[in-house]
Order: sequence, then structure tokens, then C-alpha cells
Amino acid sequence: MEGLRQQTNRLEGVVPTAPSFVAAAHELKSPLALVRQLALHLESGEVSSSELQEVAHRITLTSERALRLTTDITKSSRLEDSLFSLEPLNPIVLCQEVVDEMRPLYAAHGRTIVLTSRARSLLALANRDLLRRILLNFVDNALHYSDEGPVTITASLRDGGSYIRLSVRDYGPALPSTMRKNVGQKSVGMHSRPESSGLGIYIARQFANAMQATIGATSHHDGATFYVDIGTSSQLRLL
Amino acid sequence: MSAGHVLVIEDDQWFLSLVKKTLERNEFIVATAGNIIEGMAEINKGVPDVIILDFFMPGPNALVLLHELQSYGDTAEVPVVLCTNNASDIPRDAISAYGVVSILDKTTMHPEDIAAAVRRAI
Repeated sequence: MEGLRQQTNRLEGVVPTAPSFVAAAHELKSPLALVRQLALHLESGEVSSSELQEVAHRITLTSERALRLTTDITKSSRLEDSLFSLEPLNPIVLCQEVVDEMRPLYAAHGRTIVLTSRARSLLALANRDLLRRILLNFVDNALHYSDEGPVTITASLRDGGSYIRLSVRDYGPALPSTMRKNVGQKSVGMHSRPESSGLGIYIARQFANAMQATIGATSHHDGATFYVDIGTSSQLRLL
Repeated sequence: MSAGHVLVIEDDQWFLSLVKKTLERNEFIVATAGNIIEGMAEINKGVPDVIILDFFMPGPNALVLLHELQSYGDTAEVPVVLCTNNASDIPRDAISAYGVVSILDKTTMHPEDIAAAVRRAI
């Protein structure tokens, strides 16, 4: 059993110190294998007309998930060569866009995603595309690695308004303490959920670093919160 | 008359529903669980003839259940079919001692392979 456990630990620790081909391949296996099984189901010819549309929809959503990951990986690999402009943006609007984008995937799994805000006027200084991708990553993880219940995105002002926290709360297995410590650090070993390579979190952290933001995680007895902290725009402070 | 009782433990709901349909089409009676804890609860309700088990899931992984099954006389002999994306990385020799009779690779298998594996296990 010890040998098996070591092998399991190796598999769970497939996370690299950089988004290697191995980690990317590992992470892409799940959606691709599912797309293949769904397609084989269609090929079998034993699909009712009412089920046909549902299976096709699942193929679409699952392949979109794989494509999101491949886009993140390619973007992540080019981060060091690129400059990312920061712009004042309303994070609530951005969060709503993420909710709207992911709602069909959540609905297809019988789940819900909601947005709450604890502040009226927020203006963040961030790169819109990178921040959107961080949130998509958190929301995607929350769907696939939590059990049930709604997933909530919350935007709130912190530290007297010096920064904004966008958090994604899910209800699933609690995070290991090592994961909480590592999520915002350069060292890895942060496979938040056992079947995840942690590549998504690694990439989210890279995106955050590229725009002077930080990410982190909080464990709850019934789930987890992943968050990104971003600076407020000075335009807000002038208001 | 059913072909047997099968418990499928798999966290991906869509994959789970595909496996359930395939097995039911092959006249098995199927119970399902989305994680190891739910799987243990299902086993407490009634010991299945075969367990189809994903390896990595939120919460405890398959090793926890395999160890638990070996701890009790009425579950130690239940054959387990592992169904995982990481089939090529699972050491078959080490895991066969824990009731695993076959390992299916989700990335290459055909849906009917599940039913065939269950029939072989029974």
C-alpha cells in the first residue's frame, strides 16, 4: 500500500514549478475524455431526440472548458514578454460578465452562480482580460471541485478602501492547510482539490502578479473561498 | 431479473450519467455516488456486487475506500473496477491486492467496456 500511496502522491503532486506540458496534459485529460465519451454516446445511436440536444450541449460546454484552459496556458507562457496595461474598471460589471458567461455551464450541471457586492461604488485598477481570466478560473474550479449549493462571487472594499477583494465561495471539501499557505506563493504543491493538478491556480497567480494583484484562499468547514485582491483606482479616492 | 447490483462512484456528473445509462441498458441495477463519503453511505445501505470507482475525487481518494473495504469481512471480497484518467500511472500489481480486478482508462475506453468489465468481475 505504501508504494501505491507514493504513486498517488506523485500523481497528486504532478503540479510543476512552471506550467509544463505534463501539467497541461494532465489538466486537459478530464474534459477531453468526457467529450470523447459524450461523442461515443451520440455515435451509438441509442440517444433519444430529446437527449440529443442535451448531449450536444454538454459537448459544447466541456470543449469550451478545455479551450479556456488552453487559452490561459498560451497567455501565461507569454506573460514575461508582454506589458499589460492597467485601467480603471468597475469590478462589479466584470464580475457580472463572468457570471453571465458561466451561467449556462452552471445551469447544465444543475448549479447556480450569484454575484453579491458589499460596496456601492468600486473602481479597481487592473487589466480587464487578466482579471476576467482569474475569476473564470476560480469559478470553473468551484463548479468542478465543490459538491453542491450556489457559488457566490463577492466584491468588497478592504482596508479602508485601499484595495478590492473579489472572492469566489464554494461549498465542497475543505482545503488542506498547505494549500492555503501556498496558493499565493511561488512554491507549488497547491493542488487545491485532489484531482486537480493546480495548474489553473498557478496560472491565476501568474496573471495576478502581472498586474500587481495577489490571490489567496480561505478554507471553511464546508468549502473554500478563492480571492484576488486588486488595487483601487486613484480616481475612486478622489471621489 | 437483474444482471447484478453495481455501485458507481464518480464525481463528474455527466460521466456518471453515461456510465449509469450503459449499465442499465445491460440490465444492471445501478446506485451512484459523487464522492467516497457518499459511496460509503451507499455501501452501508447494501453491499453491491461490483464497485466502479474513479480514482481522484474531491475529498478522500479511491485509496481510502479500498482500504476501508478491506477492513470488513462483508466488503473485502467486493470486486472493484477502477475507471480513471490516470490508468497508465496506477501500479496494477500493488492495487490488485485491494480488490481491484481491472482498470479502465477513461481516455481510451469504449462505453460498453464498463459493462464488459462488470460482467467479468461478477
